[in-house]
Amino acid sequence: MRNPIGWAALTAFSLGFFLFIYAPLLVIIGYSFNSNPVNMMIWEHFTLDWYRGLLGLAERVSDNNNRAAYIESTDQMFKALRISLTVAGCTTAISTVIGTATAIALSRYKFAAKGFYNGFLMLPMMMPDIVLGIGLLIFFVTIGMQLSLLTIIIGHCTFLTSYVFIIVQARIAGLDPALEEASADLGASEWLTLRKVLLPQLAPGILGGALLAFVISMDDLVITYFVAGTDSTTLPVFIFGMVRRGVKPEINAIATMMIVASVIIAALGLWLRSRKTD
Amino acid sequence: MALLEIRKARREFITPEGGRLAALDGVDLDVAANEFVTLLGPSGCGKTTLLRSISGFETLDAGTIRLDGADLSALPPFRRPVNTVFQSYALFGHMTVARNVGYALEVRGEDRQARSRAVGEALEKVGLTGMGARKPSQLSGGQRQRVALARAIIGQPRILLLDEPLSALDRNLRQQMQIELKTLQHTLGIAFVFVTHDQEEALTMSDRIVVMRAGQIEQIGTPRTIYRQPKNRFVAEFIGETNLFSLTIDQIDAGLAHARTAEGLQLRLPAGGAKVGDKALAVLRPSDFTLSDQGIAATVTKAVYLGSDLYLFAQPAVGGPEIRVTARDSAQAPQVGAVVHLAYDPAAAHVLEAA
Amino acid sequence: MAMRRQTAVLTALLSPVTLFLGVFFLLPLLIIAVFSFLTPGLYGGVEWAFYPWNYGRIFGWADGIMEIYEPIYLQIMARSLGFAAMTVVLCLLLCYPVAFWVSRLPARWRLLFLFLITLPFFSSLIVRLYAWLLILKPSGLLNTVLLGIGVISEPLEILYTPAAVVLGMVYVMVPFMFLPLFSSIDNLDRALVEASMDLGATRFQTFIKVILPQTLPGILGGAVIVFIPSVGNFIVPDVLGGAKGLMIGNLVEQQFLSARNWPFGSALSMIVMAVVLTVLLTSITFAKRKGGQNA
Repeated sequence: MRNPIGWAALTAFSLGFFLFIYAPLLVIIGYSFNSNPVNMMIWEHFTLDWYRGLLGLAERVSDNNNRAAYIESTDQMFKALRISLTVAGCTTAISTVIGTATAIALSRYKFAAKGFYNGFLMLPMMMPDIVLGIGLLIFFVTIGMQLSLLTIIIGHCTFLTSYVFIIVQARIAGLDPALEEASADLGASEWLTLRKVLLPQLAPGILGGALLAFVISMDDLVITYFVAGTDSTTLPVFIFGMVRRGVKPEINAIATMMIVASVIIAALGLWLRSRKTD
Repeated sequence: MALLEIRKARREFITPEGGRLAALDGVDLDVAANEFVTLLGPSGCGKTTLLRSISGFETLDAGTIRLDGADLSALPPFRRPVNTVFQSYALFGHMTVARNVGYALEVRGEDRQARSRAVGEALEKVGLTGMGARKPSQLSGGQRQRVALARAIIGQPRILLLDEPLSALDRNLRQQMQIELKTLQHTLGIAFVFVTHDQEEALTMSDRIVVMRAGQIEQIGTPRTIYRQPKNRFVAEFIGETNLFSLTIDQIDAGLAHARTAEGLQLRLPAGGAKVGDKALAVLRPSDFTLSDQGIAATVTKAVYLGSDLYLFAQPAVGGPEIRVTARDSAQAPQVGAVVHLAYDPAAAHVLEAA
Repeated sequence: MAMRRQTAVLTALLSPVTLFLGVFFLLPLLIIAVFSFLTPGLYGGVEWAFYPWNYGRIFGWADGIMEIYEPIYLQIMARSLGFAAMTVVLCLLLCYPVAFWVSRLPARWRLLFLFLITLPFFSSLIVRLYAWLLILKPSGLLNTVLLGIGVISEPLEILYTPAAVVLGMVYVMVPFMFLPLFSSIDNLDRALVEASMDLGATRFQTFIKVILPQTLPGILGGAVIVFIPSVGNFIVPDVLGGAKGLMIGNLVEQQFLSARNWPFGSALSMIVMAVVLTVLLTSITFAKRKGGQNA
């Protein structure tokens, strides 16, 4: 019943779609190895100089002194990376704990405000990040709280808690309620049931939620942009700053490394999900 | 004193439409030690609610449940000396079979050695020796069922509660498990309370059957009593195939009542305490009839082949509903359209208490 | 007794989220609402006095002394809505056929392409936008290639145009449209399609009368998920858009980080919030009514 011509057209369109998604990333990767510092779009020859420069090895690139000058500041970049990892780590821990507790509360207990909470927890995800960002900025300034790492972490947790909540809740919804009953029936107290049955059963969901929270926190630009102090620039904000000041070849190298990192994390996520089934 | 005493148990649910529905509406039930009791009824009759009230997952609105004379109502499920085999088995997917089976001992804090010995014994009892290292996902449906059983008996409960545990198995395995369960109950010497909607299962396994409808108990009795002497129309129709006759008694003669239906079909019944002119509702099972030279004249309208037996639908010549009859299949078995005569032993006819 | 313990556990589980979101989510939103009615201070900051002209500047009831009505704000608002709507439509047109195609692939290939569509979720937004900067700029890849093969003689001016902004938004939003669309297309019972054709409907009729209505929840879900972040976006127009690509998000950002007129910025964000809540409530109401019909 499949129409071969229609199917071929659909296949061509779809492959084109994936090309549209991936070609720009491939362009970056390609040009990160181009030695032409003036016009990156014109291929000169293969080089690792931009990576060397980024990793603070620029002085070994002696053939062209100009190139070292392009490297803005390796130290700054590494500091931004460190801040990003710290923020993402703390955010993940906090939002995973709060989100999981909320998911358990909303799916295992009956109470009047349940519907309200279910709706309310959607809001932080749906609120445009710019509104949340400036709201937090005004709030922190009004109460006299110094913009710092802490304010970024708080900002990220406001919406990532909801993400973790959604994912863990979906996992609980797919769980046989008789599992917890069986545990109680066999003599386990609520606490033992939580520790020995519910949490292990939810583990894939909790891990998935934590991974998502980590990735989004690492990548968040808008909220961080508003609530980061001058001394707490994260990696996306750092790159945003570089991009705003114009296209420079070392951005290609940073971007390529970030793309590679994201592929690794995505593969990890896929692996986690495939383990979920047993 | 009975092991388990349930008195005036009442539990209401709020329906989605906002109404109230009594899942248990004044239930009284005793279960003796070492007894196999089956709660039988259509879905929504309250049998699962009753079971869950014993295990502690439902709280009664009124009434008491006592075990060995002690009131259970204040005890949370994990403090009650009863264990459940769940309909979905509810095996913990992240644990091995052995850890699943030993769970009750693990949470009690028993040491590893005692646990592994008890697990070995429990697995042996259900015929799963050597399967301890597997994960539940690697087992067949029948094996999972046995793991659930082993897990529920390891803690030596006073009563084992079984919530339609065989419903997910195919017919052959189900029949095999019915016999095994009965045997296991004998060896363990503990009471089983078994919930099912399958009347055949109930008849096969139980010492006593509790027939429930709409939150109330319709009849309690041995399988034979329930089948041969159903108390009312509901029990008669729910258990087995039934011919029901609405009769008026014409004449009483030497302990036999002569009665007729509105259409004029004449039947003889044990008279009991009935008087002439009384209305009566009589039950005759399809196997109570035999094909004979004389008796009720009827025309075969349908013949269903059941292997060794034939299941006949016969339209009485005088009119009225068709009578269902089982007959042995043979070359001489009547065909559709044949006129047959249906004979029966009047003593086999059972007159219902309530019409 | 059991009841009281349950309440205690529930309180313990729910108080973190209640406190956290109450203080760091609801309170900030409330403060925006309050600030939008306050008087801007002379050198940034606010004066705690009621001031209706923040909204007046935007909607036209400015007093003409303290503030004057500038139609540009409504124009930018309209442009933001237009860009977001265009993004939704383009994402839908791109994703629908592809989601259909992926759902009909053999299992192995399906997994691969689903992985490929989720991968961008894990990669950096700013990196993905930067790629388009490389491609679209006057001396960028696109112009280099087109000039090289002689299709054009002058470099195309694409960067810093509205088209570049919409292109960038479509690019970053496409996965958000794809996933809800895919799940509703994949859940579509194929027997329905076969039944429709069996009853004599052509492919086109089947699509319009059966497939489209059945996948409507996915279309709506995807549209809302794409529209909301698009309308308040300021990163994409910041990187790829010029003056003509300016959106309301950029205005808000300017008020906070360069113009330092916080009350006016708050008034602008209140409008963004109002738009988002309207879209959200409308879609929920619609989905509920639809759900009611199906049940």
